[in-house]
Amino acid sequence: MRKETLFLILLGALIYLILIVYGIKQVYTAPAIPPSKEIVITKPEDKIVIAHTEIFGSLERPQVIFDHKKHVEAIKKEGKKEWETCSVCHREKKEKLTRIKKEDEITKEKKTEERDVLVFEFPKKIVKLDKEAYKKAYHDECIGCHKEKLKEKKKAGPLTCGDCHVKEKEFVKIKYPLVEFDPKFHYDHETKLKERTGEKDCGLCHHTYDLKEKKLVYQNGTEESCYYCHDLSKKKRGPELSQIVKVTTEKRLSYQKTAHERCLSCHIKINKEMEVSKKKGEKAPPLECGKCHTGEYRTIADLEKVPRPDRGQPKTIFITQNNATAKEVYFDHSFHEKQYKTCRECHHERLKACKECHTVLGKKEGNWINAAQAMHNVFSERSCLGCHYNYVKSKKECAGCHFMIKPIDIRSLNPKETTCEKCHTGKTKPNVTSIAKLNPNQVKDIVKIDILSKEYKPVEMLHVKMINALIENSNLSKLATYFHRDEKTICLGCHHNIQKTEIDRNRAPLCRSCHLISSENPSSTKLISAYHLSCLGCHKKMNLDKGIKCEECHKESPKKPKEIVTEKNWKTIIKNTRNILQVWHPE
Amino acid sequence: MKKISRREFLKYLGSVLTLETIFMKSEGWSKEEKKEFYGLLVDITKCIGCRRCERACAEANGLPIPDISEEKNKEVFKTLRDTSTTQYTVINKYETEKGVVYVSRRCMHCNQPGCVAACLVKAMRKRETGQVTWDLNCIGCRLCMISCPFGIPKFEYEKAIPKIQKCDLCFDRFNKGLIPACVEACPTGALTFGKRRELIEEAKRRIKSDPDKYIPYIYGEYEVGGTCVLYLSSVPFEQIGFNTQLGYEPYPKYTTGFLYAVPFIFILWPLAMLGFRKAVEGGKKHREEEKKE
Repeated sequence: MRKETLFLILLGALIYLILIVYGIKQVYTAPAIPPSKEIVITKPEDKIVIAHTEIFGSLERPQVIFDHKKHVEAIKKEGKKEWETCSVCHREKKEKLTRIKKEDEITKEKKTEERDVLVFEFPKKIVKLDKEAYKKAYHDECIGCHKEKLKEKKKAGPLTCGDCHVKEKEFVKIKYPLVEFDPKFHYDHETKLKERTGEKDCGLCHHTYDLKEKKLVYQNGTEESCYYCHDLSKKKRGPELSQIVKVTTEKRLSYQKTAHERCLSCHIKINKEMEVSKKKGEKAPPLECGKCHTGEYRTIADLEKVPRPDRGQPKTIFITQNNATAKEVYFDHSFHEKQYKTCRECHHERLKACKECHTVLGKKEGNWINAAQAMHNVFSERSCLGCHYNYVKSKKECAGCHFMIKPIDIRSLNPKETTCEKCHTGKTKPNVTSIAKLNPNQVKDIVKIDILSKEYKPVEMLHVKMINALIENSNLSKLATYFHRDEKTICLGCHHNIQKTEIDRNRAPLCRSCHLISSENPSSTKLISAYHLSCLGCHKKMNLDKGIKCEECHKESPKKPKEIVTEKNWKTIIKNTRNILQVWHPE
Repeated sequence: MKKISRREFLKYLGSVLTLETIFMKSEGWSKEEKKEFYGLLVDITKCIGCRRCERACAEANGLPIPDISEEKNKEVFKTLRDTSTTQYTVINKYETEKGVVYVSRRCMHCNQPGCVAACLVKAMRKRETGQVTWDLNCIGCRLCMISCPFGIPKFEYEKAIPKIQKCDLCFDRFNKGLIPACVEACPTGALTFGKRRELIEEAKRRIKSDPDKYIPYIYGEYEVGGTCVLYLSSVPFEQIGFNTQLGYEPYPKYTTGFLYAVPFIFILWPLAMLGFRKAVEGGKKHREEEKKE
């Protein structure tokens, strides 16, 4: 008896403890900012939110909105230049970079240089990632400076808690528009730096991390995008890059932080040099937030004439592989470069040739995706076929025919050798100018669709006019010209699901050859539906003004086949239907 | 009453059976085909909003014929309409992120209809072939209106002897071997009539063959225990006036639990309490006896 009661008491106590621990955990893991109360500011005017949720978690006091501009102005008033203000609050660090020149690879000439970089983190001291230490560092540096100014009897910032941790601004979220370092920016920086230093030096920004010697290395000709290593998001990467990203994550070198370090350190240096040289007409590189974070972006059309970064890539290549069975593919690299803003959109892992990771059989580096998959996957945005399909889908000129030709069909159609040969040309450059003209004797001028005409007069379709418009459309695009070389390809848009050889024999099948007038099979399309879906679908997808309304195709026929019930005689007909009803349910 | 001899009875039975087989064959759907639920697949992406289904419906059911000229259509589509006693099917226009979408609504013909369970006089009936039909013995109690999850049955308030009106998926036409009038009139094949099982297969095939166009969901496959009218769409169903919060439980099931509990509460519960009392009394006596000892 005693043992049992003791056991019960212990059990009760245990449950009570579990509940308390669970409850406390619930309270303390509540989300810091409820998304419903968030106020997003997109025009920040150089203001910064100080919250450090990655260290503090949920905050005890409201976050601080820091007016960066106000502080810079205050320091400027003390007689400092704009470029001198940064080092008041931000620390400097020394960075070592080993330069290897590609020209003398045999000697492997290495030069190690040291350069100063400003680290744009706030507590100026190096603080360990700890709640208390971080809090102390912030309070020491902010309040310390404010106190000093007060001693010097200048206008100083607040000293009490509530003045910085303002309750009203608890849920404010500041979002700066991202800076897009597009090819125009890149080209401007490249030319201006060349003017300044006299030689093309990409090592000022570009480098890679040597995993063996554990230091930064720059070799000309191997420049890559910053995103490859400094994008700390947890996406899947290859074996080499994931090791490098592990290092950058350990050092907390996010893209945001490194971009500010790299850009602003250089801008400050140039500002300083210009102070000495004082050339006229030279524009100093910007240091304020709003001057880079403009929120304006260039489109691909704006960047059409801007040369893309040159790191010795070939203009045209014949894509091939070791042990490849298919013929070479002619690839105009310089043309495709201009269809994108960045190289990353195709060279997704590192700036290397595709075949280095995607071999014929697949490799660990390429996530075991072989060359055939990498080039032909219709659902990938980076593969040849996938990108071409996305292009076709996005253009309204193409959508008229291609809304019916689906990507799955490419594989299920069992592509013939002629289909492959369009790209796999071998070592000859295909010469495609424009597609041939139509032979007017081969096609009907006007097609009369009268097989279903009952209520309306037969529909007249301007067959030749339609084909000519499509050919004209096709000639405008380089991709379309390449693939619609033969004018008979255009026929396949409407006369679909057949082999082209049938059209070559001038025997294009009619719609009614396959589409039945009435059918009970749910998967087959009836003739009337086929007409409406393909005609109207094409007209709508191509955003045409004509041929959308019923009357534009259908003219009213004088005779009406059915006795149509009007509002006058509907009551008598109801009686008739009631009689029918009573036949099948006699009461 | 006159007695029927054994021989005569067999004679009649044989003649009835032969006649039935002959007549069954003359009808459009053979007996075997009649065993399954039929249904309607509405492909919203194909509808062009011509309202020919509305007109065909009115013609087939003897209702006032709507004007479906293009000027009138523009006016009609300005408001969202509901089905009514004179319109068993309506098309509504929705402006969505993927452009203009036309949605044709009618009775969903649930697999286990709430209206049939609620009807007091069995005027609403679920047919073997899937249609939910209404008979003329309706007493106008309007219980079906309350029980319908889609708000389909409509009441003739303006009439002296009012009745319920709704779509019956052209049951009389079906018995003649014809497909519903709206399906026949549809010029784009947005409406497809067929066996429900085959329609689900077809809907899945369409989603698979064009994953960009369709959202991967068939409305009506599992809603309220499945419906015979199925919908395919390119935009999420919440945006085009469909209730997606209905759940997968058939509506009659909500009441069966209660109805089965009635006998237990009125008969078994008192019995159980009596038994309990007896048991307690027995215990008391036993203890008293123990005390006496």
